[in-house]
Amino acid sequence: MSNQQWPAEWRAWAEEVQATFPNATSSLMPFLHRVRSQQGWLTPEALDAAAELLGMTRQHVDSVVSFYTLFRTEPTGARTIHVCRGLSCMMAGADTLMENLEHHLGIAEGQTTSDGAVTLLEAECLAACDLAPACQVNLVYRGPVAPDAFRELLEMPVEEPPALARRAEQSGAQGAKGVADRE
Amino acid sequence: MIQLSIDGREISVPEGTMVVDAAAKLGIEIPVYCYHQALGPLGACRICLVEIEKMPKLQTACTTAVREGMVVHTGGPAVEKGRQGILEFLLINHPLDCPVCDKGGECFLQDYSFWYGSGKNRFEESKIQRQKDYPVSDYILLDQERCVLCQRCIRFLGEYVGEEQLMLEGRGVHTVVSTVEGQPAHSPYAGNVIDLCPVGALLSEPYHFKARPWNIEREETVCSVCPVGCASLVTGRDGHPVRLEGRPQPDLDDYGFLCDHGRFTYDFVNHPARLEQAFLDGKPASASAAVAAVGERLARVVEKSGGGAVAVLTGAVHTVEEEWALAQFARESIGTSRLAVLKPVAGDLPLPLLGTYADLAAATGVLLLGADPYEAVPVMHLKLRAARRAHPVAVWGLGDRVLTRSTLPGEDFVAEPGQVAARLGVVLGGEALDGRWAELRRGLLETERLVVLWDGADPAAAALLAALAGQRGERPTAVLPTHGPRNWLGAVRAGISAEHAAAARILEDAAEGRLEALILLAADPLRDFPDGDLAARALERVPAVYFAGWFAPEPRHALSAMLPTAAWAEVTGTYANMEGRLQVAHGAAAAPGQARPVRSLVTALARAMGHPLRLPDFDPFQDQDGDRIARPAKQPAESAGAPARPALPPGEWRVLTGDMVAVSHPPSEIAERTREPLPLRLHPHDADELGLGAPGGLIEVAQGERRFVAGARRDARIPAGRVFIPRGLADVPANRLDHGAGVKIALADPVREEVAAP
Repeated sequence: MSNQQWPAEWRAWAEEVQATFPNATSSLMPFLHRVRSQQGWLTPEALDAAAELLGMTRQHVDSVVSFYTLFRTEPTGARTIHVCRGLSCMMAGADTLMENLEHHLGIAEGQTTSDGAVTLLEAECLAACDLAPACQVNLVYRGPVAPDAFRELLEMPVEEPPALARRAEQSGAQGAKGVADRE
Repeated sequence: MIQLSIDGREISVPEGTMVVDAAAKLGIEIPVYCYHQALGPLGACRICLVEIEKMPKLQTACTTAVREGMVVHTGGPAVEKGRQGILEFLLINHPLDCPVCDKGGECFLQDYSFWYGSGKNRFEESKIQRQKDYPVSDYILLDQERCVLCQRCIRFLGEYVGEEQLMLEGRGVHTVVSTVEGQPAHSPYAGNVIDLCPVGALLSEPYHFKARPWNIEREETVCSVCPVGCASLVTGRDGHPVRLEGRPQPDLDDYGFLCDHGRFTYDFVNHPARLEQAFLDGKPASASAAVAAVGERLARVVEKSGGGAVAVLTGAVHTVEEEWALAQFARESIGTSRLAVLKPVAGDLPLPLLGTYADLAAATGVLLLGADPYEAVPVMHLKLRAARRAHPVAVWGLGDRVLTRSTLPGEDFVAEPGQVAARLGVVLGGEALDGRWAELRRGLLETERLVVLWDGADPAAAALLAALAGQRGERPTAVLPTHGPRNWLGAVRAGISAEHAAAARILEDAAEGRLEALILLAADPLRDFPDGDLAARALERVPAVYFAGWFAPEPRHALSAMLPTAAWAEVTGTYANMEGRLQVAHGAAAAPGQARPVRSLVTALARAMGHPLRLPDFDPFQDQDGDRIARPAKQPAESAGAPARPALPPGEWRVLTGDMVAVSHPPSEIAERTREPLPLRLHPHDADELGLGAPGGLIEVAQGERRFVAGARRDARIPAGRVFIPRGLADVPANRLDHGAGVKIALADPVREEVAAP
C-alpha cells in the first residue's frame, strides 16, 4: 500500500511527530495516541499506517501496542468506562460498582455492548484514591462513584472520539466482536 | 588493544570486546542466554553477572565492554548469589517439565540451574499457564511456558535475517514470544531459532518426542543439500538420522546457521523412493548377484571393444574418497578415460579464481552474476547479510531477472535472456556505456575486494570473469560458483574432470553409438544435463546403462542394472564445498537394505570383472593449501562476447532458468509440507493478462509438440514476457526446452489434465 492511501490527517500527524521526535521509535507512541483518540481503538489499518508512515516494522508496532493496555486492538465502544480496582477503590466498593454495571449493561468486564455504545474495562490503580471508588469515562476522571450511582457514568456527557460517533450514528447494532481471530 | 585481568589471568583484546568474549578467549565460560556473538549485546536475561573491581554492583558481562586495567571475577560468593537470584526469577513460571522436554539434557536452563540454581523454589503461588506446543511455523513448536524471553529468536529473524516474523507480545509476566499478526513464520532460516533457543521453548516439530540425549549418536557432519556445505551435526537414533543441527566453527567465524531446506531434508536417506535393493534387467536381484552380472558384462565389453567403449558419469554427491575410488575403478579396472562430472550448467569456473567465504566476509563489492543466493544457496545470502552488517558492501545483480531483494538491497541490471555474459562483456569493453552501466563498470573495476557469485549458466562468462580479474589488476577478485552438484569440487580433487565439454563428449559418443556401456554414479543426465535432448538420445542409444546411487533416475526401463549405494550420514568421508574446502563428515546411521559404500561396490565390481582392484591409500588433503583443494595459478585471459539471439514472434515467451534449492533438494517427506506448489514464476502483469489468480495457478508451457503443466506464481522480480522454470523440476524440465526459441503459455485446463492423468 502506498503512503497516499492513508487518511491525510494521519500523514500530517506522522510528519508532525517525526519532526518533534527525531528518533523513529520515539515517535510511535504519540502517533498511536492521536489515532486512538480519534477512533477509540487501533484498527489493523492504523497499525499498518504507523509502521509505514514512521518507517518501522509491523512487528515493532505490534510489540509496543501489546505492551500498553490503553492501546486496544479490538472494536471499542463510543463510551469507554474504566473502573479502578486499586486497594482503596476496592475497599470503597469498586467490585460492587463493577457488578452493577455488568448487570445493567448485560456484558462482562472487557466486553462492549452489542450496539457498540459502551465498553466496560477494569483499570489497575488510577492513582486517585481520594476519589475512591474512582472511574474514568473516555479517560475523564469521575469519583467518588457510589456503587448504586453507576448510572451517572452512563449519563454523564462525554466527548466521543469523532470516528466512533460517526459509526454509532450509522449503525447502532454492530455487536461485540469478542476476541480477535487468531490462527 | 586493551589489557585486563579475568580471574587473575591477564589478556589483551581489541577495544570494544565484551567481557564475556574476552573471558571465552581464556577458556572461561560465563553463562549467557540472550547474548550471541552474531546478534551483539542486549542484556535482557542477566545471567552473565560478574564482579568487576571498583564497580559497586554486579555487571552483565555481555553488555560491558572491556576497559584498560579492568579486574573481573567470574566466580565467587557474590557472583554465585547473583546468578542464583536471576535463575530463581527465570524459574518462577517455568513448568519444570524437563522429563518430557525435547531439550532435556541439551538445555542451558538445566545446566545453569545445576551449576548456580538453589534446588528449591520459594514461590508457592500457582504458575501462569500459557500455550504449549504452539506451532510458529511448519517446522517449529513454541512452548511459551518454558521461554526465558531472551529474544534471540526475535532478533535473529528480525535483525540478522531481516524477516520480522516473530515478536514479543504483552507486558511483565504476561510477555510471550508470538508471530506477527498470528501468521506462521515462513522464513527459510526460521529453523535456526531451534538451535539458538537456549531453553526448551522452541522445538523442532519433526524431532518432537523422537529421542533423548542418551539414546542418540550426535556426529559432526556437513549438510549435503547444496554446495555451501554447511557444518552441521547429525543426530542418529537406531540407525536413522532424526535431526540436523547447525555446528558453529569459531576458527572460521561461522556461527553454524543453516537453511530449512537443509535442516529438514535429512530424512531423504530413508525416503520411500530410496534405492535399497539391487535390480538387474528390471528385476529385483541380490546385490552380489547383480554386481557379479554387471562385472561380467563389463569385462566382456572391455575384452571385445576395449575400455574406451565404457564411460562413467558421476553426479558428485558421494564423498571425495568414494569419487576417487570410482576414478581408480574407471582407469584401472575398465581402462577408460571417459570419466566426467555431470553438472546442471554449461559454464566452467576458471579454478584460479575460486574464492573463499572469508573473501565474501571481507568483500567491498559483490556481483550476483545470474545467481540468486536466497533461492539457490540460501546460507550464502545470510553470509552476505552478515558481511553487510560488519561494513559497507555494494551489491550488483546482473542476470536475466532481478537478483537483489529487500533483505539484500543493491543495484539490479537485467539483461535479455541468454545475454548475461554478453552484457558483462559490453561492460568490461567499456565502450559507449550509458549512465547506470557505466557506474556498474566503475564499481566492478574499482571496488577494493570483489566477490562474484556465479550461477555457471552462461559458459561465455568464464572467460569474462578471468578478464575482469585481469582488468582489476592488483585488487583481489574471487568467484564462488553457486551451482551444483554438491561435491563437484571434491570430484575434481579426486581427479575427475568437471568440465562441461567432458560430460557432453561422453553423451555425444553415447548418442552416436560409440559407447557400449555407460556407468552412472548418482547421475541423472535426463534431469540434470543442460541439453536434455542430447541426454535422452544418449540413454536411448547406448546398449547398457548401469546405475549406482541413492535415487534411480527415470525412465528406469532404460537402466540395465541399479545398484544401491550408501548415502550421506551413512559413511565417513570428506566433501568439498563451493570454496573448495574439504570437510570431514562422520556417519551416524546405517545404510539401508543392500546399500553399500562405493568403495566396496567398485572393488566387488572389479573382482567380478576378473581384475581385482587394489585401492592405495588416498588422502584428499593437500598440505600446501591447508584444507582447501589446490588451485592452479592465475593466467591472463582475453574477454569474449556471446552471440545475440533472434527476436521472437509475438505471443511467445522466453524461458529463464536458475537453481532453486527448494526444488532441487533430495526427496524428503518432512519437507513435503513446505513443497512449493507453484515453482514457475511470471511477472504479475503477464499473470493478469493470462487470467492467472493470486498467488498463482496451473499453466501450460508448450514448445512445438511438447506440453508441460505446472503451477506458476506471480513474481515481480521476473521481467515481463519471461517464464522462470527452476532447474531439475520434474513437471517442466527446463533442459528439454530450447531456450533460444520461444514457448507458448496458456492457463492449464484442469479437466483435460485429470482425464490425461494415468
